Parts: sequence; structure tokens; C-alpha cells
Amino acid sequence: MTSIGRILMVEDDPKDVELTLTALEDYNLANEVVVTGDGEEALDFLYYRGKWASRPRENPAVMLLDLKLPKVDGLEVLRQVKSDENLHLIPVVVLTSSREEKDLVTSYRLGVNAYVVKPVDFHEFVNAIRELGVFWAVINAAPPGSVRK
Amino acid sequence: MSWRQTRNDASTARPIASRPMSRTPRPYALAVGYVATSLAASLILQTSSRFPTPFPSLYLFAVALAAWNGGPGPALLSIVLSVLCLDYFFLPPLYSLQLTLDEVPVVIVFLLFGGLITRFSDVRRRVERDLRDARDRLQAEVVVRTEQASLLDLTHDTIFVRDMDDVITYWNHGAQELYGWSAEEARGQRAHELLRTTFPVAVDEIRAELLGRGRWDGELTNTTATGTRVVVASRCSLRRDHLGHPVAVMETNNDITERKRWEDDIRGLNRELAQRSTELEAINKELEAFAYSVSHDLRAPLRHMSGYAELLQKTAGAALDAKGQRFMATILESAKRMGDLIDDLLAFSRIGRAETRWTHVDMNQLVADVVAELRRDTAGRDIAWNVGHIPACDGDRSMLRLVLLNLLSNAVKFTRGRPRAVIQIGCLSASNGEVVVFVRDNGAGFDMRYVHKLFGVFQRLHRADAFEGTGIGLATVQRIIHRHGGTVRGEGVVDQGATFTFSIPKRATLEGGA
Repeated sequence: MTSIGRILMVEDDPKDVELTLTALEDYNLANEVVVTGDGEEALDFLYYRGKWASRPRENPAVMLLDLKLPKVDGLEVLRQVKSDENLHLIPVVVLTSSREEKDLVTSYRLGVNAYVVKPVDFHEFVNAIRELGVFWAVINAAPPGSVRK
Repeated sequence: MSWRQTRNDASTARPIASRPMSRTPRPYALAVGYVATSLAASLILQTSSRFPTPFPSLYLFAVALAAWNGGPGPALLSIVLSVLCLDYFFLPPLYSLQLTLDEVPVVIVFLLFGGLITRFSDVRRRVERDLRDARDRLQAEVVVRTEQASLLDLTHDTIFVRDMDDVITYWNHGAQELYGWSAEEARGQRAHELLRTTFPVAVDEIRAELLGRGRWDGELTNTTATGTRVVVASRCSLRRDHLGHPVAVMETNNDITERKRWEDDIRGLNRELAQRSTELEAINKELEAFAYSVSHDLRAPLRHMSGYAELLQKTAGAALDAKGQRFMATILESAKRMGDLIDDLLAFSRIGRAETRWTHVDMNQLVADVVAELRRDTAGRDIAWNVGHIPACDGDRSMLRLVLLNLLSNAVKFTRGRPRAVIQIGCLSASNGEVVVFVRDNGAGFDMRYVHKLFGVFQRLHRADAFEGTGIGLATVQRIIHRHGGTVRGEGVVDQGATFTFSIPKRATLEGGA
């Protein structure tokens, strides 16, 4: 899969990754997705470190962020992104299983752009992912410095 | 006889009044009397042939007595009278006041003797008067001091005085009551040996403060005569003499043993409370972590089950027969139901953990909002909404909304079988500081035999194929109402409807403005 990386997905659960990619396939957005399995890798991607050292100097158009992640958790990734001058314009959508108000409030305090609770129902899930993908990667005008279509 | 009488008069009289007493005419009359008596005695003696010579010394007795009893005035009078009598009756020429040169020395000697007697007597009288005054003043002082001392005995405080060697010099009734020793037993003993005092700081430090500041306050522990330890709030004051040298320490002690015990008890209870509170906090944290984990980790596998079943249906749907399709549908449905259960359970546990945000709640507005929402969801059904006036009350708006939503959506759900559903909501009473609200429907109702299960978590009184639901709505209602300090109950008749009644205080008193 040659990804041009308009959508950065930070998700440790391969099943969720597969379901998400399936949902985005119908809109031909699946190949735009870069998947990082934990918070640390996501930060490596954003800061062009490690295996991402040679990727084009462009920010993703949107970042789908799970909260419960190995190593560096989602809220920490969010905090770093939103406090970094070069990254804070990236739209970040928290995509999580957690309905906890604590997570919601913390995410918004840190400056998240959207907070979506993953529905259990597959149809709802698929719809949510599609809408997110289409809205942020296609409809929304990405901030300057982002990957262009 | 008579002089004793006069003296008695003087001693009973007040000290100041004794001076004018000597100026009253009575001592003068007495002086005249003494001289007259002396004259009579001389005349009698002269008539006797055995004592032919006159006795001028007899008149000196009269002068002495007059001076003794009457002071210088009467003494002077008696001297003059005596000289006149002597001259008239005994010195030639007899029966005349004429004086020959020969008698002058006799008269001069007599006058000198009389003057001396008067002088000595007067000095003695003055000394006696001063002594009497001093004694009277002393007596008055003793009366005042005794009164003051008995005042100290009246107080319930324990007061004793010790000298600079710590020896007890005064011990009041309160001290006897507290420590058990009488004043006689305590006086003369070293105070802090007798009381086996335990000091909070070094004794030298206390002494230094006493000498420096003139006082010391603190808590001491003493031992009473019966061996009981008592804790006292002690106030020591230093007494100095007129030269400024410290002479005594007055110690006023208040028994605070009981108070200390209470304080200790309260401290103990507080510690226990703090510990419990810490434990509770830990439990709450654990619960929160548990709920968080449930929220996160339990839903993911469900989503996967549902998702992959869906994908399977999509890719292999054509190969499945009707039975296979039904199985697939059941898997999807079960996953969804499990998701609903988890969501409801989490919402329920969140109510237990969430802080109640007290505000003034316009109940009419809240009911109108909820009814409007339910109307949208029940388009096409014939439902008569009878909404009565409900007074405003204090509570957590979002929680009360949840109460109304649960009760009214239940009413909507259980009247589904009615051609025309009638749902009533209103206020039963608004007295005693609380508002009682009822929600009544003409739906399926329930059997009152199972009313005790009505508000239990996951308890359902209807079969799942008759009415859907997780059985958590009424449990949520009860939890919210209890948190508001109110009560909730349900009444129903099978196939005739149900009425739910809940009360909430008009004014928040439970948790303040938290």
C-alpha cells in the first residue's frame, strides 16, 4: 500500500485498524492512511524520526487518535501536538471507545478538534469513520503545510 | 469603779469618737468629786487627834485620778481646786485664801508634783489611744482580708499560692475539691512534690518566664490525693513585694481532664474518619479505573464481533441460507445489546461518581423539553400528554432531566399497546419544603407483588420480547432522587397502568453549593 499519508491513524488494535480501513475503502481513502501502532511511533512520524526520517516534509491533513495506547498514550500525543508550533494546526480527531467525561474534557482542554466515540454497531462505526475521513480529508480545507491531494 | 466604767466606754466607742469623750464635762465633774473626796478625807483625818498635820499628798491622789481618767484639763482643774482647798482649810491663816511666804514652797512642790503626774498620765493616755487605734485598724484589715480569702474559696477554680521555694502558703476550697488535700494538709508542703506535677517544658524555663513576664500559662498534669492523674490548664502569676522582689506565685488551675479526653476522642474519630475517607477515595478510584477499563476494553471486542460478523455477511452472505442469516443477525443483535448494557451500566455508575451540581431548576421547562423530545420519537402514535404545573426546585439539572426522561420514556414504552395512550405528569403537593411529582400512564402496569424489584439494577418486570430495555432506567432514577435527598416509589396494576411518584427538596440542604 503506497500511502501518501493524508490521514494519520494512531491505533494499536489491528482489528480496529482493519475495520477502519474497510470503512474508508469505499471512498478510496484507505490508501491515504498511515497507521502508527502507538503514541511513540506517531510522534516519530510527526517529527520525521526513525523510519519516518526521510518522509516528505508535510503534515497529515487529519490525525485519527486513539486514547488508550501503548508507551505514549493518546492524551500525551495530543498535548505534544497541540503545543508544538509546527504541528498544532493539524486537525486531531480523537477516536476512542471511552465515553468517560474525564477523557472528553481533557481532550477538549488540550485543543482537540473532534471527539468521536467508536460505536459498537458496525454500521454506525463504518458511517462514523467514513464521515470523518470524508470530512477531514476531502471536504475540510487543510491548514497550510499539509499534504495536498 | 468609775474609772473602769470610763475606760469601758472608750473601748466600745469608735476610735475617732474617743477623743471628744475626754472633753465632755463628766471628767471635770469627776475631778471636782475627787478633790471633794480628798478634802473630806483630810478634814476627817484632821479631826482625829492622831493625825493633826494636813496631808497635801491626799490631793495628789485626786490629781492623779483626774489626770488618769480625764486628761490634762480635769487634772489642771483638780490641781487648782486642791491648792485652793489646801490654802483655805489647812494653811494658816485658816479659812482664808491668803498665802504666807512660808507656805509658798509647799504650794510650789505640790504644783510641780501635780504637773508631773498630769504630764505622765497624759503621755500614757496618748500611747494607749494610739495602740487602740492601731489595733482597731488591724482588726478592720483582718475582716477585709478574711472576706477576700473566703471569696477565693467561693470560686470553683483551684487556686493556691506557693512561695519562691515552692512551699504552699494558701490553698483554696477549689484546690481541696480537685486534689483532695485540705488546706491544713497542703500548707507547708512543696507544691509540685505533693501534686507530682508533670511539666510540658523544663521547670527552669517556666521559672524564667514567670520572673521575666510575671506570668506563665500552660497545661500541667497533677496527681490527686487518690492517685488520679488530672490535666489542668494552669495560670501562674508572680507576686512581688513593695521592693519588687518576687515573693510568691499564685497558681490558678482548671481541670480539663474531661475536655482533653473529648479532644483525644475527637482526634481519634477524625483520624478514623480521615482513614475511612482515604479508603473510600481509594475504592472510588478503583471503581473509576474499573469503569474506565470496562468502557474501553469491553466495548472493543464487541465492536470487533459486530464488525467482523458484518464483514462476513457482506463477503459470504450469498452462501448463507436463511438459518445462517438468522444466526448472523442474532450475533449482531447480541453484540449490540451487550454494548447497550455496558453503556447503561457505565452511565449508572457515573451518576454515583459524578458531583451533584446544584442549581435552581425550572421544572416546567425541563418537562416541556423532555416531552418535546419524546414527541419527536413517537410521531405517528396517539399519545395524550397531560402536563400540569410543577414548582421550581433545587437540584442537578442534567440529573433531574435524566429522571424525567427515564420515567416519561417508560410511560411511552409501556403504553405502546394502547390505541390511545394517556400520560400525565404533575405536582401532587409542594409543602414541607419538598415538591412531589407524579408520572402516570395507562399502559401495561405491573404486578405489585414484584414492586420490590422495580428499582433494582438489571431487574425487569416484563419479558424482553414484550418490552425492550436493560432494566437500568428506574435504578438510575432512584439513585438520582436519593442523591437529591428525596424518595421515589411506584404503584401499578397489571394492564391498567402505573404511577411513579418522586419527591425532591425545594431548597438544597444536603450538599450545599457543591
